[in-house]
Amino acid sequence: MNQAPSRSLLPRETFALGSIPLVESDSVLEARRKVHSLASVVAGDSLLSTRLATVVSEVGKTLQRLNNQARIEVGLCARGNLPRLLLSFVGELDARSLGYLQNFFGHLDEDASSSGLYHRVNVELTSTGVDNATLGRLRQIVEQKTRDQLLEEIQTKNSELEESLETLKRTRSAKDRMESELNIGRDIQMSMLPLSFPAFPEQGEFDVHATLYPAQEVGGDFYDMFMIDLDHFCFCVGDVSGKGVPAALFMAVTKTLIKSRAANDLSPASILSHVNSETAVGNDSAMFVTLWLAILNLQTGELVYSNAGHNPPYLMRAGGDMERLDKRHGPVIGAMEGIAYGEDSATLAPADLLYLYTDGVTEAMDIEGSLYGEDRLRDRLADADYPAAQDAVQDTVDDVWRFQGDASQADDITIMSVRYHGPVTQEGDTELILTMHNDITAISAVNDDFNGWAEKHGIPTNVQRPMNICLDELLNNIVSYGFCDEAVDEQHEIELHFRLPDSELVVTIVDDGKPFNPFGNEPPDTCLSVEDRPIGGLGVHLVKNFMDKVHYERHGENNVVTLHKHLDGENEA
Amino acid sequence: MDISTEQIDNTTVVRMSGNLDTNTSGPAHQKIDALIEEGNTHLLVNLRQVPFVSSAGLRILLATAKRLNGTEGSLKITDLNETVNEVFEISGFNTILNVFSTEEDALKDG
Repeated sequence: MNQAPSRSLLPRETFALGSIPLVESDSVLEARRKVHSLASVVAGDSLLSTRLATVVSEVGKTLQRLNNQARIEVGLCARGNLPRLLLSFVGELDARSLGYLQNFFGHLDEDASSSGLYHRVNVELTSTGVDNATLGRLRQIVEQKTRDQLLEEIQTKNSELEESLETLKRTRSAKDRMESELNIGRDIQMSMLPLSFPAFPEQGEFDVHATLYPAQEVGGDFYDMFMIDLDHFCFCVGDVSGKGVPAALFMAVTKTLIKSRAANDLSPASILSHVNSETAVGNDSAMFVTLWLAILNLQTGELVYSNAGHNPPYLMRAGGDMERLDKRHGPVIGAMEGIAYGEDSATLAPADLLYLYTDGVTEAMDIEGSLYGEDRLRDRLADADYPAAQDAVQDTVDDVWRFQGDASQADDITIMSVRYHGPVTQEGDTELILTMHNDITAISAVNDDFNGWAEKHGIPTNVQRPMNICLDELLNNIVSYGFCDEAVDEQHEIELHFRLPDSELVVTIVDDGKPFNPFGNEPPDTCLSVEDRPIGGLGVHLVKNFMDKVHYERHGENNVVTLHKHLDGENEA
Repeated sequence: MDISTEQIDNTTVVRMSGNLDTNTSGPAHQKIDALIEEGNTHLLVNLRQVPFVSSAGLRILLATAKRLNGTEGSLKITDLNETVNEVFEISGFNTILNVFSTEEDALKDG
């Protein structure tokens, strides 16, 4: 089979209209129809058109049979003032077909160049001429697609579409899975953060504020803050390597270890050493966390801190000076077992402010890819005088957002600020601290002392008396059931702390008895016979009803119960 | 806790003074039990001078009521202050004990 030349074989001065392929019997029929239409449009002679179509049909069959890329090229050319339609049969023709064409047209141009023969058939046009609209129509006729071509095209398109839909589905579900895992990780991360501020409204010694803006994908920042006892405030900021659920779980473990250890360990160095040992063991995924942790003594302002590979925080002194707590005490947590972390201390004066952050702040990028940077942060803080912790957080976050503009957030952004106000007891006699031994008869003295203090501070009797009842109930519980496992005559101290923040009476009762939440379930049978045990829960029922809020926490070796009662005496509960 | 008594007709009026709590409920209970042993089965406990009653106090009042009910006797409680009244409401004791606002009201009743 001959290979027809693929380049256009129309004479140079011809305006090409396109090409009609002759590749199978169907396309010959199609070519016949098209040439008929073309001739009708150009010559306006239906008899001529029909005859021409018959010739195309006969010759086309031969061409299609003998040649691989047989086709009819269609063009327009000018002779004198009249345009003429030009049909070029491209491909080798047998003698019979050539004779047929010759009989019909009387004259044939033959060219045996390239790889085969081609034949040109010229058809005279009538005088109507060819305007642009006609030209468009002619071209349309030549290029018209056959039904089969259309079907095939549609099928091809369809399968392409299906394929891309499949691909899309696959990538989507993979992406969704990844996204949902990241989302779960982020949910765990965010659910672990203390988010309500003010976080410790009853602590007049300091105020604290923190914020965490999670990045879309990367990021494992966290922070935590809690009271270890009435005088010690523990807070930390960290950044877990990795992302998603594994990072979130590592974060949860770290946070839990910190809090449980800090309950009876006031040394940040010791806490970090412990947390590191626990997390480094069997840490197959080699995750780690940078951590800066400090414990602030609210009475003295002494701040003890330990830094495990985290950005050193800034300490903004009340006078305007700024320093950096840039001591480092060991590598990141979880990387290697058996590391003994160190610690340093600084003394905070009233109105000093601490500023903690993660690298998401300094590595925030603007649209051009430049970093927010350490210098910019330091300058911003150095020029500022923040009246409250929240102002420091808000001002710098705003500045980072301004800098970032429309650029996307690359990493979690976390900021925590702590402002020390100094010990509250110096500001006035608004506190009462009482200590009693585990002796039932001492309860009355506690109530008497409380009443004396309450009257001095104008606490109304409808707050005093319910508090008397609650103290009677809770202290009775502690003394009667809290220590029975130990020697009967062993002495224990129960500490009571009465405060008046924000027109509220807050009482904290601390004892070192067995772990027992009076507001949880009934006490397990401790050491009394059934007859001697109290009528179930009546006392605690009274406490819960009289107080606006009750809270129990186990801190190390201590039970800590906190009671809140609003000074207007109205029961919210 | 001071307790004084006065006999009005067949009713023994018991006037308490002081808190009825963990420490005072025991002695108060003994005093009331002694009165019952002496044959005083119709008691009226006046709480006018009692600033507060804790669950320990509620327990002895309940025990007394149960004991008197078993002997055809009666227990009436009067003169609850705001806090004590609230204790009675929270605990539901206002529905199981005979509570009156004043001694006079209680004496007029039955």
